[in-house]
Amino acid sequence: MESTLEQHLDDTMKNPAIVGVLCTDQQGHNLGCRGSLSDEHGGVVSVLARQAASLMRDPTDTPTVCLESDSGNILMKTHGSITVAVHKMAS
Amino acid sequence: MTTALTQGLERIPDQIGYLVISEDGVLASAGELENDERTAGVIMQMVQTACKFRLHGTADPPFKRLSVMFEDHAYLVTVSGQKVFVVKRQSNQREPISV
Repeated sequence: MESTLEQHLDDTMKNPAIVGVLCTDQQGHNLGCRGSLSDEHGGVVSVLARQAASLMRDPTDTPTVCLESDSGNILMKTHGSITVAVHKMAS
Repeated sequence: MTTALTQGLERIPDQIGYLVISEDGVLASAGELENDERTAGVIMQMVQTACKFRLHGTADPPFKRLSVMFEDHAYLVTVSGQKVFVVKRQSNQREPISV
């Protein structure tokens, strides 16, 4: 199972615009990461995704959170119990 | 004071509500976010969380803009001069299709 996730992470990094990717669970534990995103970001990513979801009362509409800066955009979205963050350079 | 604070926000296209928040609470609000203390509270928490995000090797502030995109609307958040500006915008964004 882990190898499938690792493969997905490697495949994601093949996109030249993507410089980092991270998967975390609801507690902020790191399930896998590559590039600019590492262990230390898991907590903030999972908390931001949870806080964003509480903006909406409809639990089926999970939001995408985006942190935009000069060092690119960090996009976060929860799928089930896993939150994925992607660090993408602005094109 | 309030007019100067919100003049720019009112002109944003597809804007359906806004909030101006400081540490002391909501300074101004309108539209769908009028008197929405709950949303203001959640967004303040998100700004505080996002400020803890640091990428290696950058001294930059972690974000210029924080956006939260839902299926049919989005919250766009910027911080300026100890104030947090939030705009709720109608959006026509669609979920990416699976191929």
